[in-house]
Amino acid sequence: MISISTVILTSLIYFGILFGVAYYADRQRKRGRSLIDNPSVYSLSLAVYCTSWTFYGSVGRAATSGIDFLAIYLGPTLIAFSWWFLLRKIVRISKEQNIASIADFISSRYGKSPLLGAIVTIFAVLGIMPYIALQLKAVARTFDLLVYPLATSSTMHILPKFDLRFDSALVVALILGLFGIIFGARHLDTSERHEGLVAAIALESVVKIIAFVAAGLFVTFGLFDGFGDIFNDFMTRFPERSHLLMLDTSSNSYAHWLTMTIVSMMAIMFLPRQFHIMVIENSREEHIRSAMWRFPAYMVIINLFVIPIALAGLLLSNGDTYNADFFVITLPLQYGHPWLALLVFIGGFSAAASMVMVSSVALSTMILNHLLMPVILKIHTGAKNLSVLLINLKRLGIIAVILLGYLYYRLLGESAALVNIGLISFLAATQFAPAVIGGLYWRQANRRGATTGLIFGFIVWFYTLLVPSFAQSGWIDTSIVEQGLFGLALLKPTALFGLSGFDLWTHALFWTMFFNLGSYLTISLLTSPCDEELEQARKFVDVFNPTPTTTEKTRITKAPTVIEFVDLMAKFIGAKQAHTAISDYLGDSEIDEKGGLSEYELPKLRRFTELTLAGSVGAAPARIIVDNYLSARGSHMEDVFDLFGSISISRTASREQLSVLYDAARAVASGNNLQAILDEILKIFTDQFKFDLCVIRILDEDRQTLTVRSQRGMTSEHFGESERGLTAETFIGETFLTNNVTVVNDSDFISKPKTAKIIRRERILSFAHAPITIEGQPIGVISAFSRTAKGIFTNEFIELFTSLAGQVGVAWRNAQQTDRLIAAREQQRELEIAKNIQLGLLPTKMPDVSGIQLAGVCIPAKEVGGDYYDYLLHEDGRLDLVIADVSGHNVGAALIMAETRTLIRCRSGKLFTPQEIICDLNQFFYDDLTQAELFITLFYMRYYPDTRQVLCASAGHSPTLHWQAKAKQCIRLNPEGLIIGVKKDFPYEQESFTLQEGDVLLLYTDGVIEAANNQDELFGEERLTDLLSEYSHLPPRQLIDYIIDQVRLFSGHHSFQDDVSLVVMQAEQP
Amino acid sequence: MRMGRKLPLKDAWLIMFILGVVMLNYPFLHIFNKDVLIFGIPLIILYFFIGWPFSIFVVYLFSIYLGRHSDQETTKEKPHANPPEGST
Repeated sequence: MISISTVILTSLIYFGILFGVAYYADRQRKRGRSLIDNPSVYSLSLAVYCTSWTFYGSVGRAATSGIDFLAIYLGPTLIAFSWWFLLRKIVRISKEQNIASIADFISSRYGKSPLLGAIVTIFAVLGIMPYIALQLKAVARTFDLLVYPLATSSTMHILPKFDLRFDSALVVALILGLFGIIFGARHLDTSERHEGLVAAIALESVVKIIAFVAAGLFVTFGLFDGFGDIFNDFMTRFPERSHLLMLDTSSNSYAHWLTMTIVSMMAIMFLPRQFHIMVIENSREEHIRSAMWRFPAYMVIINLFVIPIALAGLLLSNGDTYNADFFVITLPLQYGHPWLALLVFIGGFSAAASMVMVSSVALSTMILNHLLMPVILKIHTGAKNLSVLLINLKRLGIIAVILLGYLYYRLLGESAALVNIGLISFLAATQFAPAVIGGLYWRQANRRGATTGLIFGFIVWFYTLLVPSFAQSGWIDTSIVEQGLFGLALLKPTALFGLSGFDLWTHALFWTMFFNLGSYLTISLLTSPCDEELEQARKFVDVFNPTPTTTEKTRITKAPTVIEFVDLMAKFIGAKQAHTAISDYLGDSEIDEKGGLSEYELPKLRRFTELTLAGSVGAAPARIIVDNYLSARGSHMEDVFDLFGSISISRTASREQLSVLYDAARAVASGNNLQAILDEILKIFTDQFKFDLCVIRILDEDRQTLTVRSQRGMTSEHFGESERGLTAETFIGETFLTNNVTVVNDSDFISKPKTAKIIRRERILSFAHAPITIEGQPIGVISAFSRTAKGIFTNEFIELFTSLAGQVGVAWRNAQQTDRLIAAREQQRELEIAKNIQLGLLPTKMPDVSGIQLAGVCIPAKEVGGDYYDYLLHEDGRLDLVIADVSGHNVGAALIMAETRTLIRCRSGKLFTPQEIICDLNQFFYDDLTQAELFITLFYMRYYPDTRQVLCASAGHSPTLHWQAKAKQCIRLNPEGLIIGVKKDFPYEQESFTLQEGDVLLLYTDGVIEAANNQDELFGEERLTDLLSEYSHLPPRQLIDYIIDQVRLFSGHHSFQDDVSLVVMQAEQP
Repeated sequence: MRMGRKLPLKDAWLIMFILGVVMLNYPFLHIFNKDVLIFGIPLIILYFFIGWPFSIFVVYLFSIYLGRHSDQETTKEKPHANPPEGST
């Protein structure tokens, strides 16, 4: 016996240590250094599976019914093989969906069904309550054993010093409740994780294994000489009980063994506390990998001494099994090791406490989220901040769950053995297996199937397990068990439908699974899931192979602002948590220029809000909260009218998108006229997207307005055909001025009164404008209007729309370039004509004049030029030679040249001298030339063949070169005279001389002597003179060709920059 | 070659799981369910306490294989580590 004060004091110190560890872990987490982010801690925390049922119950089981307890630990070892796939999948899904409990998991999988969540919660509470009762019973009973070893049942204790009466089970319940609240419900968390709690659980796992192994070592090696000694002793003393060490006995059939294996496999996965620790509290998926062997190893060690202790207990108590459940504590007590007994008590307490804490936290989360939350949301409390209420309800839930367990213990806990209670809970957890495992791998599985399966499973569970258990404890009449419900033998809970010959568990497992799995499969196959279920099924089943993200196809009408979403979150999870969550989220979101989220980000924010809320209130309530909130403010989610048809809109172009752009490009390239192209583009566009009106407006530069160039869709005298000024008063004007796309997805909310008026009159629901640009400069606006749907302009669509505007721009530019090209070509053709005419004005054949030879050439620099030369042979035999140069090389020069020719031809027939003709020309042209800012230089020469006399006059022209054959010299003929068109009455001079045999006259225009080479050096008169001097003997034609060649050689170009004309007159040698 | 060898091993858990279930159930257990003591310990208990750690050892090897395998996988998958939508 140990004094009550010692036990209490030790317990308090242990509590203190646990608090300390948990507090430290929470502190570390806040600093970002997670204590539990470690595979060992994770594996140890999984050992919450080993409760006081393991700690005490296994020994009792081994002592009374044999080695079947091992199956409870072998099952989890086997299922651990699958963890990397099964458990990791569950963990991944839960992290992505912000799952808070197993009820949340099942409810989420089946379309966030609130009903399923509630069903799972109710059954979990009913199933786990006895298990909690079991833990309280174990702690209370061991406390009694320590303090009053001889007492047969729990009694009220009296604390000697204070004369305080207390019930140890109740005190334990309250302490554990306090623990649960402190580490499981200090604040509402956005992710249901409690590092302090997990750290405490891990420490308790260490303590319980140390305590149990210590007791085992003491019994095996302290009281006996090892394992062999115990077995030998036992076989010798109780040969009739050798069945305890065998299978296939009356109490341990192979069927029973199989049942235990299956049930324990499911329990390790789906007991709410296991799910909570393994899935919700998992901090890293990799931890699963090492937990796969660490956790089974833990179970081997803790079970190593179960059989030796059980056999030793039997040996040392003369085969009395009354206290078999507590051999592990009574043996050290009996053999004078109270401190070891105290250690075992602490170990057993650890086992019980960890289970109760985690279970109560997990269950209260489920109760709050799936039972209370729907009620709270129904009541619609106007309270600004529900988070305080919620957290208090959660705390209350923890206490309530534990007290329910206490109540169960008080009412019927005394009678049933520990192992039985535990197995009832295991079978309850097994009922979740079809819905969870099926939901992970089977897409067709749906809400109706899961709901029916669970309900049937639990009804049968209740009937085949709880009813016999109630009957056994005298709570209800045993006649149901003995004769069946309503006296029908077929309805006997332990032999349902006549299935007898099996143990309680195998019988219950068979029938519960028969109904649960059967209805789950059948109804899932017969009914089809709704869209939301399909969506969730996809997220669950394909969690490792996420389909490429499709862009948001919904929008929110009258969407709340970011702040409103934050307020909504704050209402449920508190302002601090809400702000942390939103700042994390907005960190990587697109924010528009107004500081808000773009329209298509809002549905994402809505989902984020829902997900965040789901972390603390569960998926189904979160959805209800957000839906209610939106509907209360008149917003609703609406599907975006899918412009691109059924084909998914990917970030890259869809087929429709490409086809529209392709068709438009083909139209642009078709070579049609601009109007036809614009009409065609609008046709392609409206045909594909069913707009009510599409308009292309192009800037009219003269009037500075955007005028309609093409229109398709509804006709309206007010609308499409009206022009738009370049002001920001209209969206079209603004689009043009800012050179940005304008999208109005909901015409109820437009800011421009002028536009609003038109839009309402035309009943337009949404519209978009895109600027048509050429090289970035806007030249017009393309618009699309819809009367049928709001919110149709998605980002993808706008991308397409902009591309289309680009195509219109290209078409417009092409058309303009074509116009210019045509104009240039026409001009060219005209110049060709002018050139031909002008060439026709030059003499084509040499006049036949005796005694002289003539040759001439005119090479215009461009199509038309201002150079002119002519031979005029008169009836009296005289020959006039003219060479002239009109400034410029354009059509104007050509015209003046033609006019000059006409005038000269007209005047030269009469008996005027060259001087008189030039004076006449000067007077005649003065006005015209002054006006045209042109001038003429001209050299006029007359030759009388009879006398060989030459008269010449010049109007500022380059001097004519005269090669005098006799004197062998070259002189310049340069009678004084001003350029024509400079001074009206100018007295031109005239020279005369006689041409000698062999003399050569060279008339030329300045294009010859002013031809320049690369060094800007002019050909010059000197070179020309030299050439003439040297080659005067050549015939005129050859002389001209030679001179031209030399000029070309000099300048290095084939073409000339100025018109070049040369005329040679050679007096024949005798 | 590597791909061909990877997949069967990755799914080996299923074979090991089934093998484990078979070896820890009737009729396999019946082989050891005899009233025989070896080193003073009943055969079936010896079988459990040798078979059980052995199966854990197999899981251990499997987890080591997975560790190496998934390390490769994560390095390979790194470029796609952040899906566009992620958990939101």
